[in-house]
Amino acid sequence: MALTIKQQLSSPGGILKFLVKHNTIFIFILLVVFSALISDVFFTSTNLSNLLKQVSGIGIISIGMLLVILTGGIDLSVGSMVALLAVTFAILVNIVVLPLAIVLTIVIGFALGSIAGYLVAFQKMAPFVATLALMTIARGLGFIYSKGSPITFKTPGGEFMSNFANNSTLGIPNIAIVFFLIVILAMVMLRYNVFGRLIIAIGSNEEASRLSGIKVNKYKFLVYAISGALAATAAVIVASRTNLGSPNMGMAWELDAIAAVVIGGASLNGGKGTAINTLMGVLILGLIGNILNLLNVPSYPQQVVKGAIIIFAVLLQRFDSK
Amino acid sequence: MHNSDNEYRLEMTGISKSFGVVSVLENVNLRVKPGEIHALLGENGAGKSTLVKILSGVHQKDSGKVILDGEEISPKNTHDGQVLGISVVYQELSLVNDLSVAENIYLHKLGASKFWMNWKQITKDAQELIDSLGFDIDASATVRNLSIVQKQVVEIAKALSEDTKVLVLDEPTTVFDPTDTKKLFDNLFKLRDKGISIIYISHHLDEIFKIADSVTVLRDGVDTGSMAVKDTNTDGVIRLMIGRELKDLYPTRDVKIGDVPVFEVKNLTAKDTLVHDVSFSVRPGEVLGIAGLGGSGRTETAKLIFGAHKKKSGTLILNGKEIKTNSPVCAVGHQIGFVSEDRKEDGVFLPLSIRRNISVTNFAGISGKLGFINVDDEYKNVLGLIEKLNIKTPSSEVDVKNLSGGNQQKVALAKWLSIDSKVIFIDEPTRGVDVGAKIEIYNLINEVAKKGVGVVVISSDMPEIMGIADRILVMHEGTFYGELTKEEFSEENILRYSIGEKLKQVV
Repeated sequence: MALTIKQQLSSPGGILKFLVKHNTIFIFILLVVFSALISDVFFTSTNLSNLLKQVSGIGIISIGMLLVILTGGIDLSVGSMVALLAVTFAILVNIVVLPLAIVLTIVIGFALGSIAGYLVAFQKMAPFVATLALMTIARGLGFIYSKGSPITFKTPGGEFMSNFANNSTLGIPNIAIVFFLIVILAMVMLRYNVFGRLIIAIGSNEEASRLSGIKVNKYKFLVYAISGALAATAAVIVASRTNLGSPNMGMAWELDAIAAVVIGGASLNGGKGTAINTLMGVLILGLIGNILNLLNVPSYPQQVVKGAIIIFAVLLQRFDSK
Repeated sequence: MHNSDNEYRLEMTGISKSFGVVSVLENVNLRVKPGEIHALLGENGAGKSTLVKILSGVHQKDSGKVILDGEEISPKNTHDGQVLGISVVYQELSLVNDLSVAENIYLHKLGASKFWMNWKQITKDAQELIDSLGFDIDASATVRNLSIVQKQVVEIAKALSEDTKVLVLDEPTTVFDPTDTKKLFDNLFKLRDKGISIIYISHHLDEIFKIADSVTVLRDGVDTGSMAVKDTNTDGVIRLMIGRELKDLYPTRDVKIGDVPVFEVKNLTAKDTLVHDVSFSVRPGEVLGIAGLGGSGRTETAKLIFGAHKKKSGTLILNGKEIKTNSPVCAVGHQIGFVSEDRKEDGVFLPLSIRRNISVTNFAGISGKLGFINVDDEYKNVLGLIEKLNIKTPSSEVDVKNLSGGNQQKVALAKWLSIDSKVIFIDEPTRGVDVGAKIEIYNLINEVAKKGVGVVVISSDMPEIMGIADRILVMHEGTFYGELTKEEFSEENILRYSIGEKLKQVV
């Protein structure tokens, strides 16, 4: 690091610059303080744990989205994939042992993501188009396999998962722990692993990456496959929470995931973004929903506020890059 | 139009400008007469670009006066500047890739009065303009499909589509080969004779002495002198530019060149480009120059060997063993390096730090199993290279976009040195690099060669390639047309081979 935090703060206009630079965390803290002031219920453990349970599913797919966006791509299929894979998991958990059901679901997610990866990396299809097509395919398949209605867990394995997903360890919801572990893994991979370095390099300049001897196609393929696997993980979690897999799950989640990544300061052009900031983006979106719910604001105005926050966050980032 | 008796078309006096606490220009004067080519010289960071940007309205001056045709002007933005008759051709091409040549040339007028565009007329006007410059470019072609040379021509045509009084050219010939450069110069002479004032920024001193009437030199934001070109010489100008004598631009080479080639190419033919039947070898410690006109296939040859283009036939032999390079991944695996000609486009990662740029080729060397990076090894390697290459930066974490052209080029080289390349292809090693950094890069090339690396340098800059190469191969229409030994080096000989002629027989 070029400057310590102390140096940044003591330089002229330093505090303002520091806030703009770390605007995601700043907005997050502001929202927490605001929420705590405005509602007595906010800081209760029930509410906080609900909040964390609500964001974990979207949070996990947001990490996959971050990896894809870092390479300069986008994955619109993740919401529908959650639905298809939740249905898949519900079917599997009723016919095979639990560990196998989980592994198979994740493997299928990886395989479905690989299709997007193949189309983008090797067929040079625009990520928006390839994943848009997979989005409708996955949603359609979800309805076909479930015959349009939710599939309930019927086995002890399903019961175990349901208990796991609705309980907490040391006061933190189990599914939030899964989410946080994935965030930490992503942080480590992006900072200290070649994989992370290379996808950032590819997103910042694909041709230069190619001419540096990087296997550009391989890594572009991999990020979509991983995004698929993470969608599967999210699917297992959300299905377990409600004890069923439904083809209506994950509706428009891809948009929330993109919003979270963008609020977290990532550039849609690729090459810029961190896991910790995406976590902040996820929590900010969750907080907005949470506080508006506590204030009994109906869901339509909520959408307006969400949009406004996205604009505000991105405008703040423009300050930083100037 | 107001015309004064003043002998100067443009007078910039006492111009000062600072960005934050950094003073970029201090009390600078620039006076240009009508119908003259005025060279503006200085190393990178001397303030040339800022001065020009104040003239064109990109930046606003802190103090001083700008007088055009006797009237004080202060353009607030580039549109103001254009209306006043100031056109600038910037070093960074500012064309819209997805529009046609004609649309680009008249882009600034597309928003004007009329609702419907007369595309036919616009394309016709654009075509006439380009034809009048003597270049062969289709005005209805999409800019994306043009070569970098053609793009530069379009950029110049765009500047001339205005009613221009002062034309500023910032390093216009960096991408040009000698024939194109000559064409450009002829055009500039024509414009000068029409009474247009031309401000010409270049690092090529020989160009200045060929075309400029007068010269102003900047050093560290201060003008160190203005004079008629006939009253000075290269040494005089360099002294003003760098404040010291410059003995050897091209360092003497005392490298022992090996006998056995480190790398050989036999009958290489490309699948998709004009490159065909290319054969050559480079020995350890040798600096092999590749010259030729733009479009003759020099870059394509390097990219073909590097695996970035597809091969049809041919053999590559590294250290006596036949190798295949079907992709850059293979080439890098065989420790072949390639520094590309377009640094910003595909040479470096501008938004990433120096550390991340240098490490990008060398993860095998700094990471363990599962790809986890050993941070200590990484810093050791990166900081070592920063010191060795004398990259001027406060730390390894500075983004490459904030470095000067010369230092960016060193970063581009560093990533190949970090994997101990056996052969390095360097395409246009000093494009857009100032004199001081040039010398450092030449020294670097020598040092790399000294370690037994085969260095292949592609360059359009003839004094440069003659100054640093041990041997020059000249390309013509996709293959090597001739080879020049050190004794045969001359601009004339390179040109003759470039255009497919034989050398003059000298006894």
